[in-house]
Amino acid sequence: MDFIRGIFEPHIPILDDIKEKGVRQTIEDTANDSVRRVTAGLDIPALRGMLRGDEAGRPNPRLTPHADGFWLHMRPGFYNNLVTGLYPSFRLGWLSTFFLTFEIITGVYLMFWYTPSPLVAYQNMVDILSTVPFGRLMRDMHRLGAEVMVAVVALHMLRTLVTGSYKKPRQFTWATGALLLWVTLVLSFSGYLLPWDQLSLWAVTIGASMAEAFPPEVVGQTLNLLVRGGPDIGANGLLRFYLLHVIGLPLAALVLFGVHYYKVVIHGHSLAPEDESIGEDTAKKVPLDKREYFLPTIATRELFYVAGLTLLLIVTSAWFYHAPLEPHADPQVTPLHTTAPWYFLWLQGMLKLGDKVIWGVIVPGAITTISVVFPYFELGPNRRYAARRIGLSGAAVSVFVLAILSFMGTPWYAVQSSADQEVLAELLPQTHPGPLLTSEWDEFEAGTYEAANWQQAPTPALRNVLHLFEESLQQHGETLPNAEGIMVVENWQSGLRKVTLRVLWDSIETGEQTESSQSTYFHRDSAHEVTTRFGG
Amino acid sequence: MADAEARAESPAEELAETSLPLTRREFLYYLWGASMAVFMAGTGGATIWFALPRFQEGEFGGVFTLGLDLIPQPNSGPADFPEGRFWLVNNGDSILDDPRQPEVYPVQQGVKALYKVCVHLGCLYKWVATNDRFECPCHGSKYLLTGSRIDGPANRNLDVFIIEAVDAEGNVLTRTEPAMDGREGTAINVPPDAVSLRVDTGRRVQGAPNTAPGGGL
Amino acid sequence: MKWYIGLGLGTLILATAVAAVLAVQEPARMERFDAAFHARQIENGASLFENNCRTCHGPQGRGIPGVAPGLNAADLFNGSRLQAIGYAGTVEDYVRGTIAAGRPVPSEGTSYPQRMPTWSREYGGPLRPDQIESLVQFVMNWEQTALAEAGPTPSIPEDEAVGTDITVELPAGDAENGQTLAEGSLGCTACHVLSSTGPAWAAADGMPAVAERAAQRIEQDNYTGGATSAHEYLVESIIMPNAFVVEGFDPSVMPGDYGRRLTPQDLADILVYMETFR
Repeated sequence: MDFIRGIFEPHIPILDDIKEKGVRQTIEDTANDSVRRVTAGLDIPALRGMLRGDEAGRPNPRLTPHADGFWLHMRPGFYNNLVTGLYPSFRLGWLSTFFLTFEIITGVYLMFWYTPSPLVAYQNMVDILSTVPFGRLMRDMHRLGAEVMVAVVALHMLRTLVTGSYKKPRQFTWATGALLLWVTLVLSFSGYLLPWDQLSLWAVTIGASMAEAFPPEVVGQTLNLLVRGGPDIGANGLLRFYLLHVIGLPLAALVLFGVHYYKVVIHGHSLAPEDESIGEDTAKKVPLDKREYFLPTIATRELFYVAGLTLLLIVTSAWFYHAPLEPHADPQVTPLHTTAPWYFLWLQGMLKLGDKVIWGVIVPGAITTISVVFPYFELGPNRRYAARRIGLSGAAVSVFVLAILSFMGTPWYAVQSSADQEVLAELLPQTHPGPLLTSEWDEFEAGTYEAANWQQAPTPALRNVLHLFEESLQQHGETLPNAEGIMVVENWQSGLRKVTLRVLWDSIETGEQTESSQSTYFHRDSAHEVTTRFGG
Repeated sequence: MADAEARAESPAEELAETSLPLTRREFLYYLWGASMAVFMAGTGGATIWFALPRFQEGEFGGVFTLGLDLIPQPNSGPADFPEGRFWLVNNGDSILDDPRQPEVYPVQQGVKALYKVCVHLGCLYKWVATNDRFECPCHGSKYLLTGSRIDGPANRNLDVFIIEAVDAEGNVLTRTEPAMDGREGTAINVPPDAVSLRVDTGRRVQGAPNTAPGGGL
Repeated sequence: MKWYIGLGLGTLILATAVAAVLAVQEPARMERFDAAFHARQIENGASLFENNCRTCHGPQGRGIPGVAPGLNAADLFNGSRLQAIGYAGTVEDYVRGTIAAGRPVPSEGTSYPQRMPTWSREYGGPLRPDQIESLVQFVMNWEQTALAEAGPTPSIPEDEAVGTDITVELPAGDAENGQTLAEGSLGCTACHVLSSTGPAWAAADGMPAVAERAAQRIEQDNYTGGATSAHEYLVESIIMPNAFVVEGFDPSVMPGDYGRRLTPQDLADILVYMETFR
């Protein structure tokens, strides 16, 4: 019977409150209650007090969101004010996390318009750049963010190494961090394939050939087939790299990041070496006078960084940096001078030293293993710079060696192909548009021009290209005796010109004149400079 | 309970106390854990099997059947088979006389299927007729029509696919064999009663090691 | 601390302003990119045409009689060819379909012994779909100039053509003009290819030059034509090519209508040119 009465005589609790306290007070209390629930601990007076810059009361309500809330549960309630300046961390860890989030967001935007199939991937890229509003901006920001993230994560690692923050008890934090660096590199590498243009396909094919080099042979072959989904990178390979890029590696990154950041907070941000007594890890115990609270101080700062960085990234991607789009991937043709992306040039340089198995798998594997586990073998507790001269010198030497290896990875350090091909590739490179196709079309008047007479050419664009041609021929003067360069420009179709480059020289073996030529087509509207990296 | 109270405090007995007897419950947990480990290992194996690509006849990775008319003339340039990712070459006697050929590698007359991928880092090398050799655009490795490396950073001769010459009934009359320690596939001479060649792009014989500048060991 | 708040606010306003500026510029940028991509397709198409299509359709797409029709031609773009076969789609569809899937049967009233092969991977050809698209855009880029030109190539009135009598008396010929005709407007070199060692009429690879070959062939047992001298043989090969077909070559590949298209002077020039090869 009570139940029936309940339907016809509902009991509304709020009416009790109104009867007791009055309408205005009830509204105020309800609002306070809601805000406290949403912020996990701050009601309206506390929130306003925080925003006004008032002293926090005792107990400090601004710590409650950290204790009770999900979003802030891992972030420290307060920092030691010795680590809140730019030194010693340079905020690089924070910056790495920012970029991870930024990449996820821009990546999801791009996923709206991209399908990982060789039949449509390239056209999707073209559509993103030509029919999707802000498509080019999203793509450029994603690419820029990826390249900067690799640099930031590497710098973060270098900083941690230099300040000795990897020492006990933070060895596992370091280990997860080193793994995160690899995850970042592979994320960048797997994403590199997705546009499915010539550079993507071949750079990734060369890089993925490391998998095949894995000893013993059976493991290497299977690994290669699993990664590529076939004997070479085709539809299956693109799909697998896409899965890695979009789900496999981000999951790994989130898990590793979770562990990494949890350990960072549990141990506390390590202080600068000079602020700590040797052998004592005092980071976790922050004296009251050195505390800087997350809410509102650090939170405000971080919000500002997010705003500033976002603006910087938008402005850079809109006007200064553009991701290139080369011609459609062709599995039958490898372009001359294919290179790895810059963060893998060191690996390509190492590969030029010798056998693929040793220099492509064993040595990088050894370097990775050592870099992951060495904190466990470092015995000295002293983080001061003066006491770690050997280690720091070692770090400096490693950076230097990495730079040298990276240079060795570029096309200039290589056994060259025949000199005439090199000369032609100087003007008509096969991996990017090059000086000829980015010239002013209107100035490329029809006619036959000799490279040696470049100064007499009628227009600046022609003079520029012919000058480059002549310089290149001179550079290869030894292997191309008596070299002559001729450029023929013909009007081929409306708005289309055909440019033929001819290299004539006396063959060293026979002494007879030999010729090598290459032609290309140049359209008035092709705007190649727009899709070069730092074009308009 | 009663047993715990009954245990004396002497050191010897305390030591004995540290190894607890295995209960059935504990044993079952361990057994379950072991079976989970076995199951996971099995899942891993099944996943690898699941993820390995399948090859079909006529698709790269499978077998390509070629009529004998597709074999190029001896000593002429290679015949291109882009779907199979191989060059079919017919080495004639001029190749045996070629001064660039390093002597240490056995060279026979006959037909070989050279894998198009350069053995250095995976680019596709090109045939340059004016220089009568293969040249790779990535780092400049150069090879002869026989597959022997004569220049560049590659460290072995070109890999070949196993060719089988079959007769009308499908019997294999002759096949590519390794000539140097499991490496360096031989050229095959097509017997008169063969009707077709089968090029198996799933089975490859690696080229012999070749690291000296200009070819040779 | 306050400056963080102020600067943060300012940054956000600036970011919004930048986004607004970009939004305003976006439509124009997208159009420019579209145009740029279309231009690049034409560039790629030109390259593909040079490597795959030129030998039959001629370097400027004018076609080669008896081999392949012109593409740089008004009757393609004004729809007459489509009407002739009752095609329902647009000219671009027609071009795309023909390139991709080939032509099993030539249009009525035309004679092309060689069939247009299939080019798209989907139909067993060597090219990818994006390459087919590039070729289509290249061909369509001829539309303006093709339509602007005058009508079809003029043919010679009948009484001025040389006809098909191989014993016809020819005037004195000019070898230089003969070379211009053979290597240029008549399109002979599309099939009788100019190689790095010289024209197809010169001596090469153990075979003597064409005049000597002519002398040998009329002596052969299997010779089915009516020439009695090397000179007549050469005339016969041009104006009555199917009278005798050399072993290893297909009949009806050489166009049979040169008798209607050459004047006696043209033929004389060509012959004198060919006879310069020893």
